[in-house]
Amino acid sequence: MGSINTVENEIKELIAQILEVGSEKITPDAKFVEDLGMDSMMALEIVAAIEKKYKITIPEENLMKLASLGDVIAVTEQFLGKK
Amino acid sequence: MKDNIVITGIGVVSSIGIGKDAFWQALEEGKSGVKPVTLFDTSKLRVKMGTEISDFKPEEILGSKGLRNLDRATKLLLCAGKLALDDAGLEINPEDAGRAGISVGTTVGSLWSISEFDKSALRDGPHFVNPAEFPNTVINSPPSQLAIRLKSKGPCATISSGFTSSLDAVKYGIDLIRNKRAQIVLAGGVEEFCEQTYLGFYKVNLLAGVKGPELSCPFDKRRNGVIFGEGSAVLVLESQESAQKRGARIYARILGYGTSFYPYAINKYEPQGKGLKKAMKFALEDAGLSAENIDYICAAANSTEEADLIETEVIKEVFAKYAKTILVSSTKSMLGETFSAAGALAVAATIGAINKDFIPPTINYAQKDPACDLNYVPNKSSKEKINKAAVNAFGPNGSNSCLVVSKI
Repeated sequence: MGSINTVENEIKELIAQILEVGSEKITPDAKFVEDLGMDSMMALEIVAAIEKKYKITIPEENLMKLASLGDVIAVTEQFLGKK
Repeated sequence: MKDNIVITGIGVVSSIGIGKDAFWQALEEGKSGVKPVTLFDTSKLRVKMGTEISDFKPEEILGSKGLRNLDRATKLLLCAGKLALDDAGLEINPEDAGRAGISVGTTVGSLWSISEFDKSALRDGPHFVNPAEFPNTVINSPPSQLAIRLKSKGPCATISSGFTSSLDAVKYGIDLIRNKRAQIVLAGGVEEFCEQTYLGFYKVNLLAGVKGPELSCPFDKRRNGVIFGEGSAVLVLESQESAQKRGARIYARILGYGTSFYPYAINKYEPQGKGLKKAMKFALEDAGLSAENIDYICAAANSTEEADLIETEVIKEVFAKYAKTILVSSTKSMLGETFSAAGALAVAATIGAINKDFIPPTINYAQKDPACDLNYVPNKSSKEKINKAAVNAFGPNGSNSCLVVSKI
């Protein structure tokens, strides 16, 4: 497991690939749905990709909280820490 | 009084050309789409050839966004659909979205996706499958993705009747318009080239190259099986009234359709072609025509020993004294056996023949089979003015269909 910065960059790249936008657009506060055009399938895909990459399980009730990169990093770190 | 249904747009993605113009030109030149398989490894098989679409770049037709999770069958159909809609000079706006329908024939379009999804579950554990790949695993995924992409809100149907799927899908589209459930219908078929289907055909001894030369040579004495292939063709159907009202270019009119399911035994052609005979007769009746009115038959003959002979015999029975003079050719000599997409590709080819005054040849014709003695337009296309043509589709699992089209 790399440093937190690495994890942040990895997640940013992963999301950029799934949303098909440049990674520079994925700022910590940019809203996935309103600003970056995420749909419900992409949301599921992002969670599935993070779970697979870090071998963690993010319970469904957390999906509602994932509105921006900042949120995703926070939830991922929370579950990485629990490992 | 039934609405006259016409074809106002054509989109083709095939191993001999992408886009209607390239496709028609290739047919006229007698170009072969057969080449060594590259999409998967055939080193352990006795056969190596297929009609893959080797220069397929969907992003050139669809743009680069939103293609990431779509499988090959879906991308083939999306391209053919977009080309057809553009060719018809149509756009689907929110106000008329409910009047745009989709009807597509496909049978094994999701086999590769199912296999990949399953492999990923086995390899990584079921919890770690990618949910975005799941939609590809259903057979109605290609037409559904087409509807999503075009934002159409009319009826969207998938017709899975094996070898006759795309002709049957065209009929379904015709009925949607006549029943006022849609004003335009994108009707056609798609089948992708994948290892699972190739192996399946190989195992049931349908592929050429095991019992004889690895060629697609319909009606030829050396024929011994199909060369498997892929492709997609989409036709824009609408009523003649609707087409004329918007000043659309009309390629052809659909005069009639006939179908007959005649079961015999699994993976075996019914030797007397009773189903195909009925389908052709029904189609002629539906079109209000007799045998002498047909100038050209776009045959379903696919280089198997049985099918080509059966079709020859049926043509002789249905067309009687006209059988020897009618022009018959098999575009599968060039395109290979594209299974569910074959019917739609054949219709697209036939419309090219009608509009450009040529008959596509039956290529690879070198050794005559005395039992197959019709005029198959061997090897070189023939310059002919055709008015009315019949397009056949049938397979070894009981389905038989025939569509009759004419110059407008």
